[in-house]
Amino acid sequence: MLKTIHHFQTSIGRKQVVATTGLMLILFIIGHLIGNLLIFGGPELYNGYAAFLVKLRPGLFVIEGALGVVFLIHIFFTYMLIHDNVRARPKNYKIVATKSERSFATQIMPFTGTIIFAFLFYHLWDFTFTPHHGAQSILRDGKDYGLYGLVYNAFSDPLHSTFYIIAMMCLGFHLSHGVESFFQTYGVTNTKHTATIRMISQTFGVLVGWSFSMIPVYILVKNLSGN
Amino acid sequence: MDKKLNLKLMLWRQNGAKDKGKFETYKVKDIDVSMSFLEMLDVLNETLTREGQEPVAFDHDCREGICGACGAVVNGKAHGKLKGTTLCQLHMRHFENNETIVIEPWRAKGFPVIKDLVVDRSSFDRIIAAGGYISAKTGSAPDANAIPVAKESVEQSMDAAACIGCGACVAACPNAAAMLFVGAKISHLVLLPQGKVESKTRTGNMVHQMDKEGFGNCSNEYECEAACPKSISVSNIALMNREFMFSKNPPKP
Ligand code: FES
Repeated sequence: MLKTIHHFQTSIGRKQVVATTGLMLILFIIGHLIGNLLIFGGPELYNGYAAFLVKLRPGLFVIEGALGVVFLIHIFFTYMLIHDNVRARPKNYKIVATKSERSFATQIMPFTGTIIFAFLFYHLWDFTFTPHHGAQSILRDGKDYGLYGLVYNAFSDPLHSTFYIIAMMCLGFHLSHGVESFFQTYGVTNTKHTATIRMISQTFGVLVGWSFSMIPVYILVKNLSGN
Repeated sequence: MDKKLNLKLMLWRQNGAKDKGKFETYKVKDIDVSMSFLEMLDVLNETLTREGQEPVAFDHDCREGICGACGAVVNGKAHGKLKGTTLCQLHMRHFENNETIVIEPWRAKGFPVIKDLVVDRSSFDRIIAAGGYISAKTGSAPDANAIPVAKESVEQSMDAAACIGCGACVAACPNAAAMLFVGAKISHLVLLPQGKVESKTRTGNMVHQMDKEGFGNCSNEYECEAACPKSISVSNIALMNREFMFSKNPPKP
């Protein structure tokens, strides 16, 4: 036990914690994304899926709680790493320049991470803890469409949609560096595979960012074109 | 042909580790473009000495890019803007006439400034002492080629062994991490049969020492590889990460 604690006090040990929790969150995001995309199957399929999830409770609460803890561990260990990093360079350079092809995504990791953290609360309040029936779920034909209607109405507001799209772009950027980092931290990367892993990582980030954003974009366009 | 440069230098001056230090501006005239960066500093120092001022302290030894003694951050880039080059091998032809050049020492908690551009890199020595060695029988020399080594391992190990310990990786890292250096030293030994004896404890010991010296944590930005005068690959960091998982942690003091 003590040995394990000791391990996670080292630089690499902490990085492994961030990588492992990051991987768990990625798996969750993939699951969440697949669920979201069901919206393109129409209200019945989508609401059916939501009802199915509700039925899994209270068991699901355990998993959700565990995910929350994983999320907090991910943030806490990152915070510890950053804290050390700031202390490792007490005086900064007058000129900071780069010699590498360090990607934009890499440089804004803490920023995108913070946005995702803030977004999570907003998102839970927005969709999870708002009643799924009532005025906010009624579409133009006057019928109550449950969660489908709630999401539809929310994304019909361009401001609301834009906010979600920005958050999802941040997530995409975050993942495009995150996946690659996972492989590096677990020592999978070697000179032969580095380029492939980087490509996979960036493709994954772009794919996730765009796939999530597709939903508000689709609803916005549909709404603007008047049906 | 004989192009000469007039330059403005913004140089970090610091008298000892306790001094706060500040930038000082100097002008150098008629610098030959075929001079190295260090020779340009020599010219400055000659002028300063003649004027009765304190010359600028900077580290150097071989001046041919193999010892790892020299190094400074030039316009925000460790060893200047060229890739795969030490400061002593950076020539003045890469600068423009009337250019302002900002010259700073390596900045890291693990590298306290001794004077001006000279930093104390003994932290690297302590990391090596913690595990960067092998056990070998002294006395009679073993037969050459007595131990077969896979070609791929030799190449990887030799690539890592190209590290001259200059510290540019730390200087260039946004987090002042020393992981490329430590990774290179680990790859250098662990890939060869001769390095297997200590392989259980080596990585743990070296990583712990690295942390103790106050270096930062790698965030996989690979700025180190780009700044490394020997272009050592970040895959050595991956190898260190892998080794660390199976390595024993040293007993806590
Ligand atoms: S002085 Fe030896 S490498 Fe530059």
